[in-house]
Amino acid sequence: MLRMDEFRFVPAQSYAEALELWQSSEAPVYLAGGTDLVPNLKHKLLRPRTVIGIGDIPGVVTERDGFLVIGAGTRLDQLAADPLVSRCLPPLAAAAGLVASPQIRAMGTLGGNILLDTRCLYLNQTEFWRNALGYCLKVEGTWCHVVGGPKTCVATQSSDTVPVLLVADARLHLLGPSGPRVLPLRDLYQYNGMDHLRVEKGELLTEIWIPVPGAGFRGSYQKLRTRDSIDFPQLGLAIGGTWEASTPTSLEIVVGAVNPQPKAVRGLDAFVGKPLDDAAVLAISDLVYRQTRPQGSTHGDTNWRRQMAAVFTRRGLLALR
Amino acid sequence: MRSVTPLHINGEAVDVAVPDHWTLLEAVRYDLGLTGSKQGCDKGDCGACTMLLDGKPVLSCLILARAAQGKEIRTIEGLATPAGPDAVQRAFDVCGALQCGFCQPGMILSARALLDRNPHPGDTTIREALSGNLCRCTGYTKIFEAVRLAAQGCERHVPVRYGPPAAGFNVLGARGRKADSINKATGAAVYADDIQLPRMAHGKFLRSPHAHATILTIDTTAAEAIPGVFSVLVGSELPTPYCVIPWTPDETALAVGKVRYVGEAVAAVAAVDEETANRACRAINVEYQVLPAMVEVDQALAPGATLIHETDWKGRPREDNVCKEVDLAFGDVPAGFATADAIVEGRYFYEGSNHAAIEPHCAVATWSSDDQLTLWSASQVTHYLHRELARVLGIAQEKIRVIQPALGGAFGGKSEPFDLEFAVAALSRKAGRPVKILYTREEVFYAHRGRHPMDMAFKVGGTRDGTITAVESDIVIDGGAYHSFGLVTTYYAGQLLAGPVAFGSYHFRSRRVYTNKPCCGPKRGHGSVQPRFAFECALDELAEKLALDPIEIRRRNAMRSGDTTVNGQLVPSTGVDACLDSVAKASGWNERRGRLGRGRGLGVATSMYISGTAYPVYPNEMPQSGVMLRGDRSGKITVFSGSNDIGQGSDGMLAYIVAEETGVLPDDIKVVSADSDLVPVDLGAYSSRVTYMCGIAAQEAARALRAQMVAAVAKSWSVPEEQVGVGYGVYFDRSDPGRQYGPREVLQMAEAAAGTPLCTSGGYRTRKVGGDYRGGTIGASPAYSTTAHVCEVSVDETTGIVRVEKVWAAHDCGRALNPALVEGQIEGSVYMGYAEALMEAHTFDERGLHRGPNLLDYRIPTSKECPDFFASIIETIDPGGPYGAKEAGEGPLHPIIPAIANAIHDALGIRLRRIPFTPERVLEALARRR
Repeated sequence: MLRMDEFRFVPAQSYAEALELWQSSEAPVYLAGGTDLVPNLKHKLLRPRTVIGIGDIPGVVTERDGFLVIGAGTRLDQLAADPLVSRCLPPLAAAAGLVASPQIRAMGTLGGNILLDTRCLYLNQTEFWRNALGYCLKVEGTWCHVVGGPKTCVATQSSDTVPVLLVADARLHLLGPSGPRVLPLRDLYQYNGMDHLRVEKGELLTEIWIPVPGAGFRGSYQKLRTRDSIDFPQLGLAIGGTWEASTPTSLEIVVGAVNPQPKAVRGLDAFVGKPLDDAAVLAISDLVYRQTRPQGSTHGDTNWRRQMAAVFTRRGLLALR
Repeated sequence: MRSVTPLHINGEAVDVAVPDHWTLLEAVRYDLGLTGSKQGCDKGDCGACTMLLDGKPVLSCLILARAAQGKEIRTIEGLATPAGPDAVQRAFDVCGALQCGFCQPGMILSARALLDRNPHPGDTTIREALSGNLCRCTGYTKIFEAVRLAAQGCERHVPVRYGPPAAGFNVLGARGRKADSINKATGAAVYADDIQLPRMAHGKFLRSPHAHATILTIDTTAAEAIPGVFSVLVGSELPTPYCVIPWTPDETALAVGKVRYVGEAVAAVAAVDEETANRACRAINVEYQVLPAMVEVDQALAPGATLIHETDWKGRPREDNVCKEVDLAFGDVPAGFATADAIVEGRYFYEGSNHAAIEPHCAVATWSSDDQLTLWSASQVTHYLHRELARVLGIAQEKIRVIQPALGGAFGGKSEPFDLEFAVAALSRKAGRPVKILYTREEVFYAHRGRHPMDMAFKVGGTRDGTITAVESDIVIDGGAYHSFGLVTTYYAGQLLAGPVAFGSYHFRSRRVYTNKPCCGPKRGHGSVQPRFAFECALDELAEKLALDPIEIRRRNAMRSGDTTVNGQLVPSTGVDACLDSVAKASGWNERRGRLGRGRGLGVATSMYISGTAYPVYPNEMPQSGVMLRGDRSGKITVFSGSNDIGQGSDGMLAYIVAEETGVLPDDIKVVSADSDLVPVDLGAYSSRVTYMCGIAAQEAARALRAQMVAAVAKSWSVPEEQVGVGYGVYFDRSDPGRQYGPREVLQMAEAAAGTPLCTSGGYRTRKVGGDYRGGTIGASPAYSTTAHVCEVSVDETTGIVRVEKVWAAHDCGRALNPALVEGQIEGSVYMGYAEALMEAHTFDERGLHRGPNLLDYRIPTSKECPDFFASIIETIDPGGPYGAKEAGEGPLHPIIPAIANAIHDALGIRLRRIPFTPERVLEALARRR
């Protein structure tokens, strides 16, 4: 069996305690659901000396001051079945329900899904395999095997919930060594698979605040994968907007699982305020196609995944309008 | 860091003292000894380790044991109550939902959790709830059935025979439970990795990071100095080459002088635990001189290619990388094409695939003080393993005991000796203590022996009336680094194609080529699945050209029972017509084909497969299968058999036959199998031979016992023996049916009459069959099964995504001794072929590095996308089989791949000649046509 290297495990009962432990521990890392971190530990992608358990800190879903507030520790299966989430933001419940398998959803947290490490076919492999490969830019190596170069790591941000949270303009409540802060989710990611999160060392995600969408909100999430369970997305596409009949008054599209950073599609304002006719649907899917540049860091031909982004856009818009 | 952690497990408070970095699975299996929870993939991809945490299914391989503190943990061992197994466990047993049983503890817990929150789930909900638990045996069909049955409540006690038997039989033909199912359902069955011996050490391999390299030096000094290391082994210590086929020994236990694929074992270490053994492996210093890697067949065949094996096994220099070539012609092929009204030609490519049994290979070895080796191994060929162990270890066969414990899926992937079996024995001898080696999932992909990639040029000609006049093929087989069963594979690629659709003349040439990749071998449908794909697709094209319905062209060329194939194989029975009738009717072929609208289609294909290869791999005059029976005065019969129950249910098959003959209830028959110290030899579970050959041996032994029992009864009643009837659990007087004895009384009378314990035996003796030419015995079988499939697909023209909606599979297995198990074999076969057609790909990069040796990157179907399978059994009673039985385990895999391809053509008019049928390939084919 693949075994992990030795470390010390310390469970925390609150985020404040977790942060304290982080500040006083040797080479620490946080562990929530473990569905991303434990395989990475088995693959020796990181070698912590201390693992701080935050999985027992309960995640609660509430509505507060016009926001849907979700505790970072909320399990994905809980999120998928939560009546408040299903009422306020159905695509989020849908996306959470499409993550991996029932077991993974029962373990994995929303916080973990947002902070998921980037993934790559050349990275998420055993130490033996990566050694045979000659390692890669992200861990222990100097070369990106996807792009064939020494500079950019294009490992994929593979979260299913993030595209939806982005179109819903979620904000992250963080707690770190320099205190609490609020960070718009759209500012969290950067196009660098080695370091795709703009967070401070030791910073914890405590809550996710989402403005409760207005009555005219309609949105969807579509996932491309080979199997209907277990698989990470080869493409995830979220659409969200406010609609008056078939006219969007706001429109956002985010393409996930193609790059280190989810892609918010630009130029959609031009289609707002008028009925979304067939020509507009085609024009938008064309826009999405042009702006989507999938990397070969996950399964599926990159051109095909790009085409599918356009197909998902078209099908998604036709279903929503 | 080791802390004492209080856990609450199955209602008990227990303290575990395990290191902080241990997972819950490791703690529960190896510290608490609750081995019902299984380990299949190392890292959360398969679901075999599923436990319930506060009532929810979770993956215990991804949870730290310490993080489970304060939670209510439930494992499979905690599901049964004093009143007996849970309804879900019973339902899985009764429905035949357990084959190898390895994924089922996790699956059963997922099902239990589902029923606890939703007592009457619909089919979609069931599929969803089980979609994190991969099963490799069943195709999920019987599992869904079991969950539905459990929801209704499943009877507390169901006898082994629970359906009505076939006319004229007491047991055979009845739906029945398997011999070992309830043990598997409760987690009690002991698989190789469940064995823990006192002082047992753990072995690990150092594997080559290079696809092709000369080993200059190996220095193990540093590894040996690590505290906790007991023994270290290198290739030069076990230099005897071996192979399952004794004619072609080209492999050593650990690499000697050279490595030939990434992942080949170079050294092995036994240490106090796996972590220490791993550390010691890393401390071994190997100096390599890297050679050009011949990864692709084209590279290996190119002039001047680096030789992967410089010499053959007799030490003669090799000139190229071709490891075997066969070129055979039957009938006048040029004339066949000359008379054809239409000829189709095409080049097809079949991708490699792995068996991906959920249980990784595992072996445990221990030596007694008097130098006797006992080896437990997850092997489907314990007898061949026994022989090769003796050769390679250099000890006498009689000093070795080989035992196959419960086996978690094989499919051909465990049908020859592997590095771990030799290494674990040698490490144990050196260490002076028992040693276990358990492969990681990654190592399973390196051990491989999976489906050979084949590049196949096919040409098929036929006349206007649909007669197939000539077939020609040229097949290049990518063998990987070693021979394995390659000699047979190269023959099978041509020899097994000549029925059930007959043709007038046939020429095939097949070449198996060494490449610097893990060695290919026999995966379910060994050697013949690939050409079957090409041929059945070509046949559809020919039908189109000749304006014939695809089913019609197959009917017009269908063999009849007693026919001989063009290559000289006698087919005593074949039910191809009945199979075609069955699937045509069930699918509504005549009414629906071509009328389903664009993007939806039906496709058909047929196949034929051997019921055992006619001859043993080493020539000898001894029986291929032996069965011994012991009739006990308690009323029980014990069956001793060398056959390997790998989940297919051969132990049950033996019990049903013995019950049929002796009148003892199947519940009172105990089967002891695959333990070389206790049982007579059987050659193993390969080539679909067990029901036919071991069934005949069991029949013979049981008839001998029955004769003694009948004689004792006749004597007691002073009636002629013909007057004694044998029923289900009863001996009766035919002229006075009220006069009866129970089996226990009869066994006691017979034992008294014999004056010795009641022991009988039976054997299957090799029958001379096959063509009268060199190679004519390879592909020869005493009987052949036949299959036809129709499948319905929908293809999304925009995305290219193919969905297989339904598969109707009719399989002629001769007499179905237990239809529930036959259906399970059909469903499991269709599932496995479906998976190869749509998603599986065992592929490598230019360095020879596997593109994802794990169950997340190598995707096998889940319960959600798996189609609905409708299996129907056709019983064309075979004159030579036991009660007319033939094989069911491999034949039904073949037709599904071409049936899907043909259905895609019906849906969209495109012909796909390369598997898997990925969306990209569908779109490419559509674009090419435009």
